[in-house]
Amino acid sequence: MQLTILDRVDRVADGVLSLVLRGAGPLAPWEPGAHVDLALPNWLTRQYSLYGDPADRERYRIAVRHEPLSRGGSEYVHLFLRRGRTLEVSSPRNNFPLLAAREYLFLAGGIGITPILPMLRAATRAGATARLVYAGRSAATMPFTDDLRSSYGDRVSILAEDEQGRPDLAALAAGLSPRALVYCCGPAPMLAAAEAAFPAERLHIERFRPTARTFPPNTAFEVVCARSGQTVHVSPEESMLTALTHAGHPVPSGCREGVCGSCELTVLDGEPEHRDDIGAPANRMYACVSRARSPRLVVNL
Amino acid sequence: MTHALTRPRRVPQDEVLARLGEPEPMTKAKIFDRVDQHSRRFIAHSPFLTMATADAAGRADCSPRGDYPGFVKVLDDRTLAIPDRPGNRLADSFRNLAENDGIGLLFLVPGVRETLRVNGRAYPTDEPDVLVRMQTEARQPALALVVEVAEVYLHCGRALIRSRLWDPASQALAAEIPSAGEIAIGQLGLDLDPELIDRKLEADYRELY
Repeated sequence: MQLTILDRVDRVADGVLSLVLRGAGPLAPWEPGAHVDLALPNWLTRQYSLYGDPADRERYRIAVRHEPLSRGGSEYVHLFLRRGRTLEVSSPRNNFPLLAAREYLFLAGGIGITPILPMLRAATRAGATARLVYAGRSAATMPFTDDLRSSYGDRVSILAEDEQGRPDLAALAAGLSPRALVYCCGPAPMLAAAEAAFPAERLHIERFRPTARTFPPNTAFEVVCARSGQTVHVSPEESMLTALTHAGHPVPSGCREGVCGSCELTVLDGEPEHRDDIGAPANRMYACVSRARSPRLVVNL
Repeated sequence: MTHALTRPRRVPQDEVLARLGEPEPMTKAKIFDRVDQHSRRFIAHSPFLTMATADAAGRADCSPRGDYPGFVKVLDDRTLAIPDRPGNRLADSFRNLAENDGIGLLFLVPGVRETLRVNGRAYPTDEPDVLVRMQTEARQPALALVVEVAEVYLHCGRALIRSRLWDPASQALAAEIPSAGEIAIGQLGLDLDPELIDRKLEADYRELY
């Protein structure tokens, strides 16, 4: 859908701006944890979590940190994207849904606060016990700290690394109620620390970037598009997404690195080799990074 | 094929300048020694440039570079970085720059009649913090060119207006040009079906990074 940048607040924190997006009518509904894809004018597509109130059907709010080693997404948003510009924005998608629980521990690192904000609000409104530990490099770089303090008081711990150091996740894990769920969004070191500290079945995480992993060498395989009947050959040098696109089956895509979930396909037959960081549900795969263990996959295209 | 029987007359430089007349004072005034904010915006939206270099003996060369808009990174107002994407591996530009580091760039933005000229000196780098910013499709280039900017200026649009470069109707010209396969077979004197070369090229073009 085409949304217009209604407002742009340049200094939510050092290096962080927020955008308010508005459409022609009510926007698609979303749940806490959801993100949208922004198709930027420089042809790059980037994912941003919605941090506003899901009850507000008129506006989406996103916040963007200017990454010093930007590949062109956050730099573009910060330096060149102007108020009044209309952009193609995807419907919200949620790889980080908030499951019902009586108790939550939320962990946010830096700009990773964005999906956590609506989660904390929803959990608190539902009457659950919710606590937030929010870490960042320094107080000035951390958005929304004033709002969080005034809304949640001592249920929120704000830790600036240059003053208080990193949060002690082991101590948090030791004191965690057995019925609590943990939601964590932040940079890779924080996610790794959370994975080491909390039991996997109670920890839900969202990544900005893929984990560094090595995979077996790529092999060629065939993809049968069940609806068109066409068979597409995927060579070792190309992704399944690229091969499908060249064969006339354009698949929507976003991050192209197995994080956002835009290119999800339904697998009808064959065994995918999952290489994404989302954790594909049964019979689903992400065509940008994942390949095949079987010589042939049948997909719902 | 026609042959010129006599070489066209060479016009001496003083005569050339006399015939062209003096440049407008504005033209000279808009040559900057750094990338101002408008030039930065131009570069951030440019998916294509031509790169001119020459070797120590003055043998010159011009080649195309292209990617998503903003593929050339502005590291600061005196420094650009251009990714070295896979190409023909002739390394003409690198060979020239090793002998003579002068470089001339011409940036184009589709639909914009003016072009941005950037001149300076260049050298290759493999600095990780530069290369990581050039990652696309999960791949990053092995090398980039750092351009130390000496001159930046917006070139007027007359050439693009006269050439109707951005007029969609101009694309009818493409049908009059032999395919790359036909050209290769003609130049190399091969006894092959040009379509074989064109198909191979089309397959190679699927691998852009």
